[in-house]
Amino acid sequence: MSDHLSPFMLNSLADGELPAEDLARANEHLARCPLCTTDALHQTLLKSATAKAGQRYSPSAHLLEKITHQSARQIFQPQTETEARSRGTFGTLRWATVAAALLVSVSFLLIQRAQRTAIASTERAALVTEVSDQHIATLAPSSPPEVLSSDKHTVKPWFQGRIPFSFNLPDDLPQGTTLDGANLTYLNNQPVAQLLYSIGKHRVSVFVARRSGAVRPVDLVAEHSGFHVKNFSTDDLDVIAVSDVDPARLSDLVSAIEKAQTGTHRRSN
Amino acid sequence: MTLLPWKRADRESGPQTSVFEDLALPLFPSLYNVASWLCSNPTEAEDLVQETFLKALRGFPAFDQGTNFKAWIFRILRNTYLTSRTGLAATRTVALEDELGTSEDSGPGLHPEAAIDRQTPEINLIRLSDQAALHAAMEKLSPPLLEVILLCDVEEMKYKEIAAVLDVPIGTVMSRIARAREALRRTLQPHHTPIREFRA
Repeated sequence: MSDHLSPFMLNSLADGELPAEDLARANEHLARCPLCTTDALHQTLLKSATAKAGQRYSPSAHLLEKITHQSARQIFQPQTETEARSRGTFGTLRWATVAAALLVSVSFLLIQRAQRTAIASTERAALVTEVSDQHIATLAPSSPPEVLSSDKHTVKPWFQGRIPFSFNLPDDLPQGTTLDGANLTYLNNQPVAQLLYSIGKHRVSVFVARRSGAVRPVDLVAEHSGFHVKNFSTDDLDVIAVSDVDPARLSDLVSAIEKAQTGTHRRSN
Repeated sequence: MTLLPWKRADRESGPQTSVFEDLALPLFPSLYNVASWLCSNPTEAEDLVQETFLKALRGFPAFDQGTNFKAWIFRILRNTYLTSRTGLAATRTVALEDELGTSEDSGPGLHPEAAIDRQTPEINLIRLSDQAALHAAMEKLSPPLLEVILLCDVEEMKYKEIAAVLDVPIGTVMSRIARAREALRRTLQPHHTPIREFRA
């Protein structure tokens, strides 16, 4: 075993991550070892070349404009609130000012509501896109389910310790419907169960997530890119099903899953 | 699951939303660059960046002022990428070999940290100045190795920040960096001699 600097040391040296003590030791070694000095030089050259080559893509002005506009819509909100508060404070003696402040407040509320509606709509669209994308990913023959089983007593326990909630699977499935397996996946940065069913030759993905106030699935669009989307919520869970199967047959499966969630109350459809 | 500081959502009052723009917009080119490397598709990269900004804007009230905003938003970008079609396909393809440390980037029986070439600095310098070769070498990296190199070398993040973005231990970051650089060297100079073989 040689006492040359280890590759980890050389990497840390190039990245400026060596603690002072190790750095002093490394410098001392480099002063008397041409081999390690060459290695250290090459590490630094590689790092700087990679840094330069990595700066490869520049965003278009159009994208920046879109994102800036998106942020500006949010930023407008608190500014208006401040202005309204200011007018209320300094104009209390004048009815006209009060009326103006009232008008501004009403306008602000209307704008705020419109903005909230727009944002909620964008969030819902993003959610539908995300579940559709994840469903499409499972259609590839090269993407088998992480748990491959038609037995609900195998599929459900597989999620123990993987997701922070539990759910029930139906005992009886509609005719022609089979459970294929499941995946652990993520929606809105939260772990969710993706149950995979087949209805005839059509694949169905059913996403079961812990209920969150962030996105209410009440108004999810019924169709996206040729896929039908059905959803319901209980007190604890949000469930979204995606498939290109006939909507009536998809509804049958969703109803069966909903009935299996005992002791819960349906909120939406 | 580790609860990172910026995940604490029970703050009494969030920062002004306008602060978000000041913090996020300067990072826009970096986010787009990393997104483009990961997606290899301009349209998907644009969607990824837009979705990242939307999620970050929505979650900004829960962000702890004073903590690392760059690491926070890059983590959102990465998580969003992982749930995208490209990200899911990529992780399913490489997850196993990444865990086992036996990807195509590591030679048989070769410890990932065990290779430094014995070429002269002059030769290396000429080779490293070839941008096309470097781009091709980086494109060959598996996503876990590519992202760590982008965060370390391009974004100049510290190991601790990278560990926070990727949600892995610092040791894993160091290991991936070593493997990524070894893979780059192998691609750029196929006949290089690993340091331990040379010194044995």
